[in-house]
Amino acid sequence: MRCQRARKWMTAAVDGELSPRRRRALDGHLAACAACRRELAVTERMLTALEGLPMEAAVSPRLEQATLRRVRLAAADEAERAPASRWRRWLPLPAFALATAAVLVLAIGIVRRTGEVPGAPAVRPAPKGDARGVAQAPPSLPRRFAKAPPAEPPAKLAEAPDLFVDMSIIRNLDKLTHFEAIQTTTLDDEPATPDGQEPPSNG
Amino acid sequence: MRRAAAIAVVLLALAAPAVRAQERHGRPWQELTPEEQWRAWENYQRYQRLPEQRQKELLQRHQQFREMPPQERERLRQNYHTYQRFDPRQRQEFLEKYHRWKGRK
Repeated sequence: MRCQRARKWMTAAVDGELSPRRRRALDGHLAACAACRRELAVTERMLTALEGLPMEAAVSPRLEQATLRRVRLAAADEAERAPASRWRRWLPLPAFALATAAVLVLAIGIVRRTGEVPGAPAVRPAPKGDARGVAQAPPSLPRRFAKAPPAEPPAKLAEAPDLFVDMSIIRNLDKLTHFEAIQTTTLDDEPATPDGQEPPSNG
Repeated sequence: MRRAAAIAVVLLALAAPAVRAQERHGRPWQELTPEEQWRAWENYQRYQRLPEQRQKELLQRHQQFREMPPQERERLRQNYHTYQRFDPRQRQEFLEKYHRWKGRK
């Protein structure tokens, strides 16, 4: 078997839709071809992720709203607490020291901004990591809350959004089309021939 | 009267491509619920990482799904919701039955 054919059968293989004979042929090829083994691993990972997603999406809107509300409250609480704790640390110092420090900070700020002192070091922008730390949601947040869909979707997504909404159904089209027949199939009778040539006896 | 009819014809002619596009591709992005937009966006990112051959196959299946009558599409959705409610043991059993059924085809 050539790689091209093997790759054509991979989705069906991952979905369990390949006939036993083809599956054996594919397995034979995979045993000898590392590139196709890698490709199969990628396909399996991605397709499994596609299938897993709607289970996450099954969260009720009420629960989602409640979670979002809690996240917002926690973020606001954190923002309020941070400056307060900094103040508390400085409060025990004498007022004179605090006033001096404030004047010094102001003076340095003015000099740097106006550039009146020659040779003063330029104000460096904060490292990117810091900015990210403020802008990004805390890592403990679930991924779906941390990364929203863009307001303007990419062209392909905008062109056919239903394709991506229904991806799990589309992936499992064969199983879902014959769902009733599959469910009435019995497992306790003698197994089908491995090459799949036995005519259907039910379903 | 004639003028009104002419305007109606022109309006219909202008609207037809949009209606055809909607039939072909489904709803526009703005009409999706926030929940659907999330799902579509996540699936889109995963789709982009799939090999080209897999992308083509999914497009073909999508085309097949779009061409089904609405009742048939609804039946498939119902079946998918039933499948989603399966516990792990029921899912395993369903997949075993599927392989058995497939082997007999």
